[in-house]
Amino acid sequence: MGKRKGHPSVEDVLARPWCYYCERDFDDLKILISHQKAKHFKCDRCGRRLNTAGGLSVHMNQVHKEQLASVENALPNRQGLEVEIFGMEGIPDDVVMTHNTRVMQQYYEDAAARRAKTGNPMSGSGEGHKRKQIKLETPDELTKRFQDWKRRKLDGDTTMGNTEAPLPLPVVDPAPPVIPASFGQPPPTAAPFAQPPFPGHNGFAPPGGAPFMPGFPPGQAPFSGAPMPFAGSLPGGAPGSGLPPRPGFAPPPMSGVQFPGAPGGTAAAVDDLIASVTSQGAKPATPTEKKGKGKDKTRMIYSDNEISPEEKMARLSRYAFTAA
Amino acid sequence: MSSAQYELSPPPSDVISAIRFAPNSSRLLVSSWDKNVYLYDVRAPAAEQLVRKYSLSAPVLDVCFGDDESHAYTASLDWTVRRINLETGEDTVLSTHKAGANCVAYSAKTDLLVSASWDGQLHVHALSKPGQPPAVIQLPAKPFSISVTSDKLVVGMANRLVDIYDLKPLEKLAMQHNAGTPQTVEPLQRRESSMKFMTRAIACMPSELGYASSSIEGRVSVEWFDPSDEAQAKKYAFKCHRETVDGIDVVYPVNALAYHSVHKATFASGGGDGHVALWDGATKRRIRQYQKFPSSIAALAFSPNGRYLAVAYSPGFEDGKEDMAGPVGVAIRELSENETKGKGAK
Repeated sequence: MGKRKGHPSVEDVLARPWCYYCERDFDDLKILISHQKAKHFKCDRCGRRLNTAGGLSVHMNQVHKEQLASVENALPNRQGLEVEIFGMEGIPDDVVMTHNTRVMQQYYEDAAARRAKTGNPMSGSGEGHKRKQIKLETPDELTKRFQDWKRRKLDGDTTMGNTEAPLPLPVVDPAPPVIPASFGQPPPTAAPFAQPPFPGHNGFAPPGGAPFMPGFPPGQAPFSGAPMPFAGSLPGGAPGSGLPPRPGFAPPPMSGVQFPGAPGGTAAAVDDLIASVTSQGAKPATPTEKKGKGKDKTRMIYSDNEISPEEKMARLSRYAFTAA
Repeated sequence: MSSAQYELSPPPSDVISAIRFAPNSSRLLVSSWDKNVYLYDVRAPAAEQLVRKYSLSAPVLDVCFGDDESHAYTASLDWTVRRINLETGEDTVLSTHKAGANCVAYSAKTDLLVSASWDGQLHVHALSKPGQPPAVIQLPAKPFSISVTSDKLVVGMANRLVDIYDLKPLEKLAMQHNAGTPQTVEPLQRRESSMKFMTRAIACMPSELGYASSSIEGRVSVEWFDPSDEAQAKKYAFKCHRETVDGIDVVYPVNALAYHSVHKATFASGGGDGHVALWDGATKRRIRQYQKFPSSIAALAFSPNGRYLAVAYSPGFEDGKEDMAGPVGVAIRELSENETKGKGAK
């Protein structure tokens, strides 16, 4: 069960062929090309489907003696004939980047919305993600773990939360444990994608550990080594002992795994991408393009609501008419 | 074979006000601010397209055919409504308004010619009784556009008013002996435009069930005559003829509307942006948009057989401009079989 059935990973989404002219994405490059031929490169005179806008322009010119001015059905800023597009080829880098940013943003918004709706934890996303396995501990391991815990407890490790009691034992030390500030609710900068309230946290932490836990290859039980205070479902690893600090608490998806697949990205491009996504993520909500459009200023070419253009024209001296 | 889109030559020398196809042929009337009415045959070879040119004494604001191709009727800036004998070129004044006459429309079933003027009045001429003075109808506001069906007259006016008149009582009035005193007639319906800005053009559906109207603020609305709640619930309006330039939404007036006579739900809109779009009024989808014309679209007409679309373009009057300049022309588009056919519902 390598791939989860319900939702594609972000790489899958990013790898989908998409149309430069209308930003639609497709299952297959072939379908994209036939879409472009049908929607954007089709001659409206004779219905011939050309391969490129340039081809259509030449065709219109030679066969119908017409001048193609713009690509049909294209987004307003993509109607130009200057860019030679065929399938995914020829798309300017900056457009690729904006597209990827947009797709990713959408992806995480959707994922967040899904999580908010279902209450499921953030998926590990990314390939190689294994379903959490129920770890069966042998009695020996259990005992060892309990002893570890007890030892640390006696050492007065205050970072231990009460939630990590390995076994539902009678409370040994009733002193309320100090909970790290970042525990329980994510730091403010970490809320780009409305995180659902922390899922149930009492009793056992998920024994498999978070798949993202740095330093542990996925699948390896993190509990078997050094004491692991808290392997909660905070993605990206828990704060506290034994773990490298999470870099800047970037949104979890940014932890590197996502980007190898980003097409056409130089290192700098990826950096920019990360920067742009994180900066967008830092905003309280993600203002979508649509919202921005609604605030656009409008300018009416003709705005006199009382006097028609013809009446104004009639006042021009060259049309001057006075009743005889 | 001629190419599918071509220009009529020679074009008028100034801004075009109206274009109308003849009821049964490929002839086309074009009226212009250059004080001429042009009669073209759109299917003739280029050198013979202009059949005749008729010179009048003032800019011509609207033109239409009567029940055949023998006469044209005009509305002029010199307040007159005239009949032009297209054979002889002779023109006679039918009536004189108290301000520039801006619209004429002919309804074949009642044989009525309706003219409108900025003086806020309609003249209803009974063409079957030559020499009969027209009935003068006082409107609640200045008319901007009129359109007729076989039994109704729709008048788009200032203050966003739209009146729908029954032609029958108007016919009765026109037949009576009246001394040209203005009278008010109760319209079938008086509506407020469903758009917030000045009505620019009105076109009745060939099905005669309703009409489309457009405003100076890049918008078209489609509504139905039937006053029942059910029919009124169907009405809708949509934005068009706009473009975003540097983050500013530039909104053009929608100057022209024309319904297709064969695919009865299809209509064309022409805007100040130089674009002509075909819409499927039934499924509320755009069928296509043509390549931008070199200036504002002034008028549109489909030929009665639905094979041609005539597009008149000329510079439009814009805010902050003292004068207009730009190319003037009439393009004829030969429509392929499916070009105007509606799209399936989504």
